[in-house]
Amino acid sequence: MAVGDEPAHFRQMIDSIVDYEVIRLDEKGVISSWHPGAQLLTQYTAEEAIGKPVTLFYTEEDIVEGKADAELRAAAETGRYGTEGWRVRKDGSQFWASVVLTPIREPGGTVTGFVKVTADLTEQREQTLALRAGQQMLDGIADYEVIRLDSDGVVRSWNPGAVKLTGYVADEVVGRHVSMFYTEEDKRGAMAEREMASAARDGSLEVEGWRIRKDGTRFWANVVLSPILDDQGEVTGFVKVARDLTERREQEQLVQRQRDEILELSTPVIQVWDKVLILPLIGTLDSVRAARLTESLLERIAADQAEVVILDVSGVPAIDSGVARHLLKTVEAARLMGTASILSGIRPEIAQSMVHLGIELGGLRSCTSLKDALQLALRLVRAGADAADLAGRHA
Amino acid sequence: MPDVVPIMRMGPDLLVTLQGDLDDRAVEQIEQEVTDQVARTSARAVLVDVSGLAVLDSFVARVLARLVSMVRLLGADATLVGISPAVAITLVELGVSLRHVNTALNAEQGMGRLRRLREGDASRWAGHDDRG
Amino acid sequence: MVATVVVISGESDLLDVRSALRTAAERAGLRLTATTKLVTAGSELARNILRYATGGQGTVTIEECTTRAGRGVRAVFVDQGPGIADLDEVMRDGFSSGGSLGIGLPGSRRLVDEFTIDSMPGRGTTVVISQWDR
Ligand SMILES: Nc1ncnc2c1ncn2[C@@H]1O[C@H](COP(=O)(O)OP(=O)(O)OP(=O)(O)O)[C@@H](O)[C@H]1O
Ligand SMILES: [Mg+2]
Repeated sequence: MAVGDEPAHFRQMIDSIVDYEVIRLDEKGVISSWHPGAQLLTQYTAEEAIGKPVTLFYTEEDIVEGKADAELRAAAETGRYGTEGWRVRKDGSQFWASVVLTPIREPGGTVTGFVKVTADLTEQREQTLALRAGQQMLDGIADYEVIRLDSDGVVRSWNPGAVKLTGYVADEVVGRHVSMFYTEEDKRGAMAEREMASAARDGSLEVEGWRIRKDGTRFWANVVLSPILDDQGEVTGFVKVARDLTERREQEQLVQRQRDEILELSTPVIQVWDKVLILPLIGTLDSVRAARLTESLLERIAADQAEVVILDVSGVPAIDSGVARHLLKTVEAARLMGTASILSGIRPEIAQSMVHLGIELGGLRSCTSLKDALQLALRLVRAGADAADLAGRHA
Repeated sequence: MPDVVPIMRMGPDLLVTLQGDLDDRAVEQIEQEVTDQVARTSARAVLVDVSGLAVLDSFVARVLARLVSMVRLLGADATLVGISPAVAITLVELGVSLRHVNTALNAEQGMGRLRRLREGDASRWAGHDDRG
Repeated sequence: MVATVVVISGESDLLDVRSALRTAAERAGLRLTATTKLVTAGSELARNILRYATGGQGTVTIEECTTRAGRGVRAVFVDQGPGIADLDEVMRDGFSSGGSLGIGLPGSRRLVDEFTIDSMPGRGTTVVISQWDR
């Protein structure tokens, strides 16, 4: 068959198509028509292509397998056959082709040829593969929840890590608001909205907090929220990556609790008499421990309404200026509450070094022995009690 | 701002109770009222109970210290009572020492101390008086 | 996070600053002492805006933050006032151009876990403070 057999308008239409190859094959698969789009795609001219078998574009393997014949047969039998696969250009390079074969029949039904429409989908294929790879990668990160939210916080995608983390499957979640994973308190506080606003403003946000699983149990989540921006810089959604850090948090808290217990153990506040407390300081005082000490001592003063507190430093190996400053602050705070302090157990070498350091004790009373300190404390309390009695009689 | 400054007479003494979060004007108004009343009634002592105060920043502390000075000038004594542990630590860190102000754990103890001061036995008390 | 913004334009706004700070601190689970320190520092800084910024005007932005280090509260004090020429000077105890004690700034720094001050003469002053749940 010759090119001239084509009806004119069909010819024109085909010539204008450059994104596709639309050619005709005869009933045996020999190329019988050609057009510019086909040349763009395959690099063959009409002279080179017409009269050649369609296997001209097939890979070696496909030729060996007899793919072309099988495709033509399938098209003849089913009336239409579509496939995708690698095809070869004149220079040997390959492209990913989408092919549709339609049989042309005579009025009697005999197949006299085929129309073959081929499109180059190499680029789309790569994109699809990249997408799929991305999705597979996400699916592969089974310990991470990697999901997408729209700008309102509605869940738009879900991954196996998210299933593992929350117990929900995609159908139960996609289309619902992300706050469904938050605690009641955080829901009331509009935490999800706050987090999205912050991520949108700062470019990303990392937070930790409790989240709720499908079964109602909670887990400590580390969440990184990143906004997805369109070309105008508008936020169109968020990518949320979350991990379960419950175990790590529990370990940290255990360590913290143990540390607190050790602190408590090493700093017992002892009530020796009604309204008299002793704080026997033992070991080295770092600033964290010293701050805790002050707090717990003052709270105890408030609870017992203690009028005198003895700070016994005989168990402290050295008092540097930092520790001394802290002791003085404690004394000052106690005084503001209305409680007198007595420092006891200052050893000569500590007294010396304190003087050398220029540490002023101000009006703070100091006794070398605990016994003296206790006696002084009792005197002070009795004097206070007498005064209170007097006050009662007066009023 | 409270309409009525919370001042209560207790015999020859006045008990002033500060409550909640006060704005600056309320604090100054209370200062004014208390000094007026001390002068008018020749009160012998004023106890200012701050246990119900939410914050005691440098402004409030300064007004309170000023109040104490004025009360003293009027011939009466003044004691601050009920500074909480958190407020005490905060004042110390802030650097407001209120060194010349007498303090007490509660109104009863404060009253006792004031009486004691009046009876001229001040020197034995808890470092309130020996820091000037 | 959605921040609470308090506009400072008059004395009564100090109450709003303090109460917003307290609410945020309680939400972040700060201990009472840490909360009291934060609220007091905030009161000092807001009062400085009232007293020294042009027209006594500025804003305080308060937000809770959760990070690896724990939960906390951050507050940003901004004014477009005259600014501060010598930051070292105003951060020293006892310096005051207003005949006051001069402890607001240095004291606030001691009360909070993080303190940053930034100022440009003629442009204004920004102070950022944070307190953590520790
Ligand atoms: N927002 C501000 N704008 C301009 N200057 C300021 C501002 N804040 C502080 N300053 C300057 O810094 C000085 C020190 O401030 P600081 O708060 O430490 O003390 P103060 O306000 O003078 O006294 P206090 O706070 O003890 O009542 C002020 O006197 C003022 O000159
Ligand atoms: Mg100030």
